[in-house]
Amino acid sequence: MTSLVVPMSALGDAVSWLGDLSHWQGQNGIPILTYQILKLSFLALVIAAAIALPIALWLGHVGRGGALAINITNVGRAIPIYALMVVLAVGPLGLGQRVTVIALVLFGIPPIVTNTYVGVRGVDRDTVEAARGMGLTAWQVLWRVEVPLAFLLIMTGLRLAAVQILATATLGAYFLAGGLGFLIYDGFSRQDQAELVSGAFLVAALALLVEGLFELLQRRLDPVRRTDRAGGVSVPRV
Amino acid sequence: MGPLASDCLVRNTWVCPKYVRTRSSDLTAALTQHVELTTVSVLIGLAVALPLAVVARRLRLSSLLLGTATVVYTVPSLALFSLLVPFTGLSSTTVVIGLVLYSLTILLRNVLAGLDGVAADVREAARGMGFGRTRLLLRVELPLALPTIMAGLRVATVSTVALTTIGFLVGSGGLGNLIQDGLQSNFKAEVLTASVLCVLLAVVADLLLLVVQRVLTPWARSQS
Amino acid sequence: MRAKRMLSLVAALAAVVLLAAACGGDSNKLKTDNNGSGGGAGKHVVIGSAGFTEINLMAAMYQLLLEKAGYSTSIKVVANRELYEPALEKGQINVVPDYAATMAEFLNVKKNGPNAKPVSSNDKDQTVAALNKLAEPLGLKALDPAQAVDQNAFAATTANAKKNGANLSDWNGQKVVLAATPECPDRPFCQPGLKNTYGITVTKLLPLGFGTAQVKKALTDNKAQLGLVGTTDATLASMGLVIIKDDKGLQEADNLVPVVGKGFTSDTTMADTLNKLAGVLTTDDLAQMDKKVDGERQKPADVAKAYLQSKGLL
Repeated sequence: MTSLVVPMSALGDAVSWLGDLSHWQGQNGIPILTYQILKLSFLALVIAAAIALPIALWLGHVGRGGALAINITNVGRAIPIYALMVVLAVGPLGLGQRVTVIALVLFGIPPIVTNTYVGVRGVDRDTVEAARGMGLTAWQVLWRVEVPLAFLLIMTGLRLAAVQILATATLGAYFLAGGLGFLIYDGFSRQDQAELVSGAFLVAALALLVEGLFELLQRRLDPVRRTDRAGGVSVPRV
Repeated sequence: MGPLASDCLVRNTWVCPKYVRTRSSDLTAALTQHVELTTVSVLIGLAVALPLAVVARRLRLSSLLLGTATVVYTVPSLALFSLLVPFTGLSSTTVVIGLVLYSLTILLRNVLAGLDGVAADVREAARGMGFGRTRLLLRVELPLALPTIMAGLRVATVSTVALTTIGFLVGSGGLGNLIQDGLQSNFKAEVLTASVLCVLLAVVADLLLLVVQRVLTPWARSQS
Repeated sequence: MRAKRMLSLVAALAAVVLLAAACGGDSNKLKTDNNGSGGGAGKHVVIGSAGFTEINLMAAMYQLLLEKAGYSTSIKVVANRELYEPALEKGQINVVPDYAATMAEFLNVKKNGPNAKPVSSNDKDQTVAALNKLAEPLGLKALDPAQAVDQNAFAATTANAKKNGANLSDWNGQKVVLAATPECPDRPFCQPGLKNTYGITVTKLLPLGFGTAQVKKALTDNKAQLGLVGTTDATLASMGLVIIKDDKGLQEADNLVPVVGKGFTSDTTMADTLNKLAGVLTTDDLAQMDKKVDGERQKPADVAKAYLQSKGLL
């Protein structure tokens, strides 16, 4: 009985916590914490994409080594992230945003590699051959044929990476990188359930927002008019 | 320093054979618990995800289900476990429930993607042959979705191997118990050994599932 | 063919799930048989442990003593007080080694909210009395506290200790960055205490926890000048850190005390057994044991056993 009552009231408390204007001001106010986590996540996503996209596009284009790349990045998910961050932070990297961004990049790479590779590999071989036959260079085939046709899956990879990064970025609060994770850490330390639940709620809301944004971008920027909707895989298909 | 200075345990090195030797029973117990928790959670996750995805598609609630999955996925594990404890107590059930929830978010996405990926004309053909809903699902849709489902299973398994470590909160984190102990007492060999075992476990699980996938979908290999 | 394969896969899955559910109980409890030699015969006691070195040692000692008294025991590691305290109330955990003042303030905040007026002091008996006043309505009870104490303390690098002084009162007038728990600004022993008792101004608080690797790193990198740790932390010296002495007695009485939960509050055998340990355990004993585990990397259970034998308690 009581165990049911406590979390329900915690939800109510969270609503009034979020309604308290003082929580929206100052160094640890919601706007600044939101800005911090978005900045960390955006930086990590850009770096992860800069590393993962070229590799996956190239592997998909030549059609070799993809299985291995996917396996390696997939297994990378099993690294105990908090332990890794502590080790890196205590080591040469030090506390702060650097160690957090590096850890996030590591977690952002797998979905981008997997989906991009699968997307490019999945482009109809006859279409690619036809493009070659028209005298397109390898580069042109990649940019004009393979990337546009694989666009949906590439975007799906980026979207999954963004959500993954955002969810993991809450750990930054334990390493002086700030962000909405602070509310969870602080709420836990102070036995303030309302703050903890509010923090978790804000992160989840932000993730949904980012998902929606990617969905919108995906539709707006899609170079190919499609009738069927691509579901997107978070995954290796080896 | 004295006579013990050559001891890698005392020098606190990252790699320390003596640590592995003297703590082999702790390591085995932690590894066993880790494998148990991961296996049980992923299997339950799969057993829930398959029917849930099928029902959601029939009721056209796929987007809602995926949105919910995203929300659950973003709840930080520390917060999720703290919120679960009042309901589930301090047993390993709490850890399993948390892990099932997380694995569901990955599995659902892939089961739905796999089922969506079945070409409409294939479905039509099957219906034309007089297949009912259930037969269509079991004999056409699921087998065709199997590569995508298996792929999701692999990601879910590897992610669950990592997430199990957070079970240290209630003393049921497998290798996570050792990692946490090592972090708190600055015991480098313990942190590294347990972390490496965790990654190795993920590699082995991933390869095992790859073999299962090949056995279950022999047709997929001949295509590529 | 495919359907058959699919069905057998589903069947296998179902079998495994059922099997898992069947043995889904707690497999990680180290159950031990009792030898039935004392008043506790037949009773099973779950000892809670917060999972860090010092508490692991205490839990191991409780286990050895209680088994000698005829109980069967198991140790359950639960990382946070937020999680194990409710378990004590429910009887999922029966006894836990804790710190008197910290536990008293925890119950105080739980009852009276985050801004509750502190109930503990630097007096051990007063603090335990305050703790018991809060514990009783919850069905909990603190037994006798040990002499041994692991208080909150502020550490600094040896260089900064040389520069500013080995006592906190030497740091009077200093402006420092402090690495500590997020709730430090609200706790009288923490940021307000540094200001009011020692005249040390905290210009910035780095929320890095209590004695974590991050706190120590912030100190060695000189990102913070003072960091919150425990007085018996045996890893400080190897990192070039020292504790700045609390020479005006700001810190509260964090003596080690067994907190007993539901079903055991009137168990005199348990009280007598654990009170024997409280009678002998000193801060120095505790620090030595911490050092054996965190410095020499001996196993907590071995160290606990050797200590109890040396005191004639086993």
